[in-house]
Amino acid sequence: MISGGEQTHGSSVVDQVGENIIHHVSNSDIQHPIVHLPHIFGIDMSVTKHVLMLWIVAVLVSVTVIIPIRRFLRKSDGVPTGMANAIESVVQFIRDSIVVPNLGPKWVNTWAPLILTFFFFILFANAIGMVPIFDLLGVFNRFVLGIPASDSHNFINGILHGGVTATGNFNVTVALATVTFFAIIIAGTKAHGFIQHWKNLVPHGLPWPVYIILIPIEIIGMFVKPFALTMRLAANMTGGHIAILAILSFMAIFAEMFQSTVTGVSLALFSIPMATAITGLEIIVVLVQAYVFTLLSAVFIGMAINVHH
Amino acid sequence: MENLHLFGVGLGLGLIVIGAGLGIGRLAAAAAEGIARQPEAADKITGAINLPLFLLEGVAVIGEVFALLIVLMK
Repeated sequence: MISGGEQTHGSSVVDQVGENIIHHVSNSDIQHPIVHLPHIFGIDMSVTKHVLMLWIVAVLVSVTVIIPIRRFLRKSDGVPTGMANAIESVVQFIRDSIVVPNLGPKWVNTWAPLILTFFFFILFANAIGMVPIFDLLGVFNRFVLGIPASDSHNFINGILHGGVTATGNFNVTVALATVTFFAIIIAGTKAHGFIQHWKNLVPHGLPWPVYIILIPIEIIGMFVKPFALTMRLAANMTGGHIAILAILSFMAIFAEMFQSTVTGVSLALFSIPMATAITGLEIIVVLVQAYVFTLLSAVFIGMAINVHH
Repeated sequence: MENLHLFGVGLGLGLIVIGAGLGIGRLAAAAAEGIARQPEAADKITGAINLPLFLLEGVAVIGEVFALLIVLMK
């Protein structure tokens, strides 16, 4: 919001708003990376906004999950304290309500770690987008340090434009869904053997013309599952941020439409409670989407293991 | 006539909302009815409607993404 006015001079507010919102939810430009890294195999490894967020998420997950669990495992009495208690309740919930019903008791210890990793990582990556710390940093940068928004080499300007949800980037969710895609194949292979896994994709004992239709459908279905996971997570995380920003933008749009500051300010009485309500809804969405991704991953892996044709 | 794609997007988004709303409404109604008849099965019923609910939501969201793509890509 802050930087929009200076980037595009002369055009109307309505034209700037759409551009600004997309700028908020999309990744930063690779030409102006936050951390410069060399090219490896012809790929620019420089760190953009979303990659930086992934690093922050990785550090947060390590600090809040891995370290307490390591400390708990070292203890001799086996009684969890502090953070380990909270993690234990989450782990037990995921295991008992997602992994056991879908994968069956035999494969719980094989696949629960993957499912739990998905859950914690996606939960942290989703939730960090709801923390408006970067918008505050931007305000500090502009008005306390006095750095103009047009300075693209400034570190804080690089990570700015708020709404930094790494899982709102389709590339991140494609990577996560690719893990699920291979986990499905590996799970089927481990449970039934490599050849039998591919045979299990279609039910046996049907008349042969049915297979002509069924085999292509199953092959498409194999790719549609991770595709749906990708779209669902990224679109949900992007959509909420767009809705919040669009509702807040009403103030600017209406102020220009009626050429009066009073209209804009009085629309704040509508916009701000509405945006707050959607933020509350977003907090639920953050939890639900992390749950949904893990649930569906478990269901798909379970479908490869417990074939019931 | 060059902005006709926006008209289509608006219409499509409305249809998506109608479809998803009907689907979620039917699921919620069936779940509420089931729980009212048999309150002790509430956990099982919630578990059973979760999966179709999320699949339905996924289809709606994919539709919305394509609508957004039409606007952005023209």
